[in-house]
Amino acid sequence: MIHSNTETVPGKEIVQFYGVVSGSTVRAKHIGRDIMASLKNIVGGELKGYTELLQEARNDALVRMTEQAESLGANAVVNVRFSTSSIAQGAAELFAYGTAVRVE
Amino acid sequence: MKFDPTLPDDGANVSATHPLREAATLIVGIAIAAVVVFVVLTAAVELLLPHISPALEARIFSRPEVVSAIVPDIQESRDSRTAEVARLLDRLAGHWPDNPHSLRVAIIDDETPNAYAFPGGLVAVTTGLLAEVASDNELAFVLAHEVGHFRNRDHLRGLGRGLAFALVVGVFGIGGSAGAAELAGAAGLLAAAGFSRDQESAADGFGLALVQAEYGHVGGAVKFFERLPKPDNAIEREIEGYLSTHPLSAERIDAMWALMRERGWPSDGPLLPLAAGLAAPTPGE
Amino acid sequence: MDSTTEALINLGLPLLLLVATYFTGSMVERRHYLSIRARELETRQLPAITFRTPPRRWEISDSGLVSGSVVISVDYFKRFLAGLRQFVGGRVKSYETILDRARREAVLRLKAEAAAAGYAAVINVRLETARMANGRSGNGIAGLEVLAYGTGIKLRHGAP
Repeated sequence: MIHSNTETVPGKEIVQFYGVVSGSTVRAKHIGRDIMASLKNIVGGELKGYTELLQEARNDALVRMTEQAESLGANAVVNVRFSTSSIAQGAAELFAYGTAVRVE
Repeated sequence: MKFDPTLPDDGANVSATHPLREAATLIVGIAIAAVVVFVVLTAAVELLLPHISPALEARIFSRPEVVSAIVPDIQESRDSRTAEVARLLDRLAGHWPDNPHSLRVAIIDDETPNAYAFPGGLVAVTTGLLAEVASDNELAFVLAHEVGHFRNRDHLRGLGRGLAFALVVGVFGIGGSAGAAELAGAAGLLAAAGFSRDQESAADGFGLALVQAEYGHVGGAVKFFERLPKPDNAIEREIEGYLSTHPLSAERIDAMWALMRERGWPSDGPLLPLAAGLAAPTPGE
Repeated sequence: MDSTTEALINLGLPLLLLVATYFTGSMVERRHYLSIRARELETRQLPAITFRTPPRRWEISDSGLVSGSVVISVDYFKRFLAGLRQFVGGRVKSYETILDRARREAVLRLKAEAAAAGYAAVINVRLETARMANGRSGNGIAGLEVLAYGTGIKLRHGAP
């Protein structure tokens, strides 16, 4: 499965397109990580726990989007966009969506 | 470029786990975690207790701001009764040879007969208790029982356990809904009440020994407990046992009779009347 | 009121609310999904895609902005589950159906608006998600808002 955030897949031609496919996930870290993060917030610096959380969420969302594209028989998703939103405190919501296509 | 109107698999973005299954796993898991944390914390309290000497304890709890944070808001009555109770308490504590505490007395304005042992050597009795006792001996046993709590350091244990409990409920209460915290609260209260049974019996034993040493018999002690009105239902009794110092269970009374028989302490003897300052309180110190 | 009754009420009410909202919540959700699936089938001939420019062979006669939005509430049971999940971490599964329903509903409304305006396709579709906050601190969740928007286009030769 090819993912691209441009209109086309470089070097290939789109022969067929389907609708929008999307993958979304809401993830949280356990309370210990939340407490550590709030302590880290005092001194500043990278919140490793939350960076990890976002990475996990992004992977999750991509996997789910790919599943949808595969169910259509597509072999690429173009114009992929990510969006995050805060649904609950300490939880990351990641949403990935794009247009499923067949390229040759 | 053609358009294919097929719809994608619509279950990809929703986990297959049934919500009830998810709820059950989470509730059971978190409850177990909360209990484990509580048990570890109470074990830590037990480990810490021997390192807090009565002198250190007295230093910590001599500060009024510490006491006011721990001791609930006391509506204190100050009249001739305070001095009388203190005199009796001193006589009893005199039979505990190396008493490291300097004990103080407070009288709480409350109808319910009750007595408390607070950190820092404060023995508090309610006006309800003073109205209920009929003889010097009866009051002596209640006070001696509280002295027993000081000897066994139950007052600090209770405080430590209370703090551990508050911490667990605090941590496991946030984020979750109020209902979850409420559930945990009730369960923990009952558990804590269960723990204090042995402590109560130990304090009873020490209290009886002090009364025996003072009067030469333990008459009046058990009778008073048997005479007190019993709480109506089980839950209330449990909570009473946790908060106060006298769950009036039959087991405890049986244990006291057994101890009296074993030590050969006479269960009957002449009862002394209450001191005049107690029977008819006069204002002032 | 004695302490036992008070304890029972304090414990019983949230429990009752949990059971009740579990049943109402799943009923509402089942119905919504039935309606979503039916409408998705009806509107599937109208493509809504994320391409910024239309495919080259389309001859476009007209275009215009179209949008669809929805706010879906989170029931007490789902909030309770999510609250518990925050302790242990991992997927907050109870919010997944809410998000899924909200996004599909928003796209369906976008398509309905496009169809009503006579557009044959919607390009450059974007989705925005926002949380409607409630409570004094603003940390509570009242509902999820999803906005879908894109450019509707009319074709000279009918359907794409």
